[in-house]
Amino acid sequence: MTDALISFQDVALGYDGVPVLEGLTLDVHRGDFLALVGPNGCGKSTILKGMARILEPFRGRIVREIDGRPVRFGYVPQREAIEMVFPLTVFQVALMGTYGRVGPGRPVTHADRERVRICLDDVGLGDLQRKLFPALSGGQRQRVLIARALAAEPDLLLLDEPLSGIDLGAAQVIMDLIERLHRERSLTIVMVSHHLKMLREHEMVREVIWVHEGKLLRGSVAAMLAPEAIVRMMDAEIG
Amino acid sequence: MDTLLEILNPNFLLRNALYGGLIIGLVAPAVGVFLLARRLVFIGIALPQVSTAGVAAAFVWHTYFHGHLNRDVSDFVLALVGSSILTFAVILVLALLERRGRGLGEGRIGMLYAIAGAVIILLLASDRVTEIGVLGLLKGEIIAIPDIELLILLLGYGTILAVLTVFHKELVLVTVDREMAISLGKRVALWDLVLFGIIGVTISLGVLVVGPLVMFGFLIVPPMIAGRLVVGMRSISIVAALVGAGIALGGFASAYRLDLPTGPTDVALAGIVLAVVMAWQFMRTFVFRTAVQ
Repeated sequence: MTDALISFQDVALGYDGVPVLEGLTLDVHRGDFLALVGPNGCGKSTILKGMARILEPFRGRIVREIDGRPVRFGYVPQREAIEMVFPLTVFQVALMGTYGRVGPGRPVTHADRERVRICLDDVGLGDLQRKLFPALSGGQRQRVLIARALAAEPDLLLLDEPLSGIDLGAAQVIMDLIERLHRERSLTIVMVSHHLKMLREHEMVREVIWVHEGKLLRGSVAAMLAPEAIVRMMDAEIG
Repeated sequence: MDTLLEILNPNFLLRNALYGGLIIGLVAPAVGVFLLARRLVFIGIALPQVSTAGVAAAFVWHTYFHGHLNRDVSDFVLALVGSSILTFAVILVLALLERRGRGLGEGRIGMLYAIAGAVIILLLASDRVTEIGVLGLLKGEIIAIPDIELLILLLGYGTILAVLTVFHKELVLVTVDREMAISLGKRVALWDLVLFGIIGVTISLGVLVVGPLVMFGFLIVPPMIAGRLVVGMRSISIVAALVGAGIALGGFASAYRLDLPTGPTDVALAGIVLAVVMAWQFMRTFVFRTAVQ
């Protein structure tokens, strides 16, 4: 395929010189909506970090190119990863998304600020720009981080457990938002999630990658998240 | 008021000491904002101690091989070299450990602080003349700063302020969300180097003028005060710098009037300002809650 945004070629990824996953081969194509699922500690976030350049492979190669230029990522980390000693406002957090496009030493332009406001409007937080980020609810914080990722004008949105630790209603709002961004902006999306039921209920999620014992099992939502398939995977995980 | 007018007079005898304190009071807090934001406060304690150990080592080395120095420019340069070499060597090792994912561990930094303190005492015990000079440094007695030392301080800290201002957004990004910075294609290793370099120069140069205690005080307390008053890294940096300069001025005036050592007076004044701000915030919250009930 020529439209692969990311291509893992026999990749080994891990931490502190110890590989967590080896022999990974995987393509993410333009327009994909992929969900990475699997038990805690299986390496879902590790794969996402490999995609986002946060981890470089020990072995193998990760190609991240589109139309001859590097892929622009909108990375949404786990909410708990953002712990601030000095609290920032919602707008200041979202503004950081523009820093990748603005060269070192150059100021953020008025147009960039306007774009950030639009991104905050898009996630339904336009009226909370001056609020302190830590004062928001879990779901609202997650939406701010999505707005920040959108401000980077990404080709690919990478979301690390965007639905974890928030109530069902807020999770539904976020899932609807991600689905809308995929539909309206034609954004390619890869997300890590434990909410199998919610993934099944959203038809825009095209494929699921189940990370199982260091292997990637890829298939359609219907096939991978069918109740009997889940039971089979769980049995295999438990042994 | 009379004291203030007297010390602000361009012909004031100790004007260089005042200017030196003001420069450090203005710039060190802006650097300290990043130390706090990146949770490197313990580094802020340990590095001034390491830097002082470097000064002591340089003096003892010179005494051993070349005899005692007079208090002049070569004395300052020697101290700066000793301070810089040890500070940057330690920063390099800590940065390497952090990059390898081993973190900066409180235990490791605490050990560094203790060892540096022991080295200072052992070096001073071996040389009486060095002991007197470095003890002055430890007490934070900012009395006489030659013009050339003031110029070096102004150039060094001026450069730091310029780098902090121009590259503010890059430094904020790698401080607040390192992973996001990498995903955006920023050269995080380079910006880490810039940040650690700034911290190193600030400490190794500042310690020579105000000593480790005052250096740590200026790095940490004004940003803590500013963090309670305003929101946003740039606003906090600006307010911290202004608070630091105000404390340097007020501390110098108080020390001059009451005949106290300048450094500890600065730190005590910073503590008083922090306590007043906290008390004011507590009162405001209390009044608000009472009104709501």
